[in-house]
Amino acid sequence: MTVKIEVVAGGIPHTKIMVAGLLASLVCLYLSYLNVVTKTEMFSFFGGLAVVAALLWGSHTIKVLCSYGIGTGVPSAGMIAFGSGVMGMLLATKFGIAAPIVALVLAAIIGLIIGYLSNDVLNMKIPTMVKSLTELAIVGAFTLMGFAVLMTGSFTFANLMSGSVTFLGQVMPSFQVSFIGGSLIATAFMLGAIAIQHPFNACLGPGWTQDRMLILTAECGFLSMIVAAFMSFALITSGSALISLIVALVGWGYTYSEYMKLGKRDAAAWLDSKPIPDVEEH
Amino acid sequence: MTAVAAKPAAGGAMNPTAMAIGLVLMLVIIGACWKIAPGLGLMALIGMIIGGVLIGFGTHFVPVGGAPAAMGQAPGIATGVPMLAAGAGLAGLFGGAWAAEQGLVVAFVTGAVGGGLMMAITCMMVSFIYVFGMGIPAASGKVKVDPITGDTQPEFKSQGTEGHGLPFTSFVGGVIGGLLAGGGGTLIYLMLLDLYKATLPGMMNATESQIMPIAISAAGIFAVGMFLVNAVLTAYNITGTIEGPHDPKFKRWPRAVVASAVASALCGFVAILIVVM
Repeated sequence: MTVKIEVVAGGIPHTKIMVAGLLASLVCLYLSYLNVVTKTEMFSFFGGLAVVAALLWGSHTIKVLCSYGIGTGVPSAGMIAFGSGVMGMLLATKFGIAAPIVALVLAAIIGLIIGYLSNDVLNMKIPTMVKSLTELAIVGAFTLMGFAVLMTGSFTFANLMSGSVTFLGQVMPSFQVSFIGGSLIATAFMLGAIAIQHPFNACLGPGWTQDRMLILTAECGFLSMIVAAFMSFALITSGSALISLIVALVGWGYTYSEYMKLGKRDAAAWLDSKPIPDVEEH
Repeated sequence: MTAVAAKPAAGGAMNPTAMAIGLVLMLVIIGACWKIAPGLGLMALIGMIIGGVLIGFGTHFVPVGGAPAAMGQAPGIATGVPMLAAGAGLAGLFGGAWAAEQGLVVAFVTGAVGGGLMMAITCMMVSFIYVFGMGIPAASGKVKVDPITGDTQPEFKSQGTEGHGLPFTSFVGGVIGGLLAGGGGTLIYLMLLDLYKATLPGMMNATESQIMPIAISAAGIFAVGMFLVNAVLTAYNITGTIEGPHDPKFKRWPRAVVASAVASALCGFVAILIVVM
């Protein structure tokens, strides 16, 4: 006796967002392969763009799932997305150039089984549960892979496991200075999990509008990208990390100002108050 | 017309067919693991399934109140399962990880105590805030008499609420839940760490001390991922809120145990495949 609380009225249909998000993040992940072709690390920022594309798709999936009232709060959807996504992503990195495609397939299988468990074994009986959890697992895997590309410039297992340190002018291999060995993956996990669940959690309610939520998602994605770009200074050349940082800052600034505009559009009224009122001089 | 006013739809009914399919799926995964990685891999998988079941079962004891509890309209800790799991369960996991070098039993117990301690502190601070900050007494809405202390409940319950505050049984349930979940999370971590320590050196042509950062980090992130998957599955089972072991919803635990076992087998198998493929 599930009651659908809210239908997606107007706006872009979910299928369109799903296909666009999937294709955009796949293309961005593969564009980062230009790093290998051109033997630089300049194209690492495509990983961050893949993160933003995947998050846009994921936050709309959370909206579709959570409008049924799953009773556990929105953050749980973000957590299960990344919990199941990290499995598929790490195994997929072992497949070299095919990694993004393998991550897509593996995460879909894991998400499908977890969706079946939730819907039938746990008797949730929500029509879109299986589909949504499958999508969320793929989004989790793509987001983590995007962060990996952003921080290390690569999505292959060997490059995520080992890095190099320069000590007294000599370059030495080190397992500690790497995406996994340095536990940067744990930070990426939480950066993504918070960015995916926050937009719908913040925008839900009678005044929900699709464009405002999606622009907030993009803003959260770029904000996470700024932090990840700072971390990438440790693993890739400073110039390449600087490019990622600039892309992230520009993207964040633009989406933030757009979000403020949409927030003012949807608000009943607003007052531009100042944090500290001016004291009148007498 | 929003998700705010939504009511959970899941009932207490079991679905035997789906549970049987789930168990068969788990056996298939265990069989596949036995075929690909007998010995250490299979041991690790079984350990991870036990750990996952402990997390799934333990989360049922934790008094999760959600948003109604924050408004003093339902008993329990005023947040959702993922937050409590991340706070209490991962505290246990970190505690157990520190003791990982001292053997399985010591580390497992340390993890359990870490989780239980974190839950005890959380429950105490929550009670402080409820009683002295919000000015509400502890009263259960689901039972007439507290099963442990024998205190009557309805006199203290405000009209129009499902109870409020943190009754004594919920406190005890929270600590038991923390013990089980912290121990389960630690078990998953230890199993993966042992497996990675044994297999990664050969795979990457390095000594054990060199690959330790990778083994610890990979085992840690997988343990966190599996912990969250199991905790959220349990949250779906109890549809968000539960008062503790005396709540009628507690009787739904067989469903969550099956779901956690299958999900842990699946995730654990993927984590094992990384080193044996």
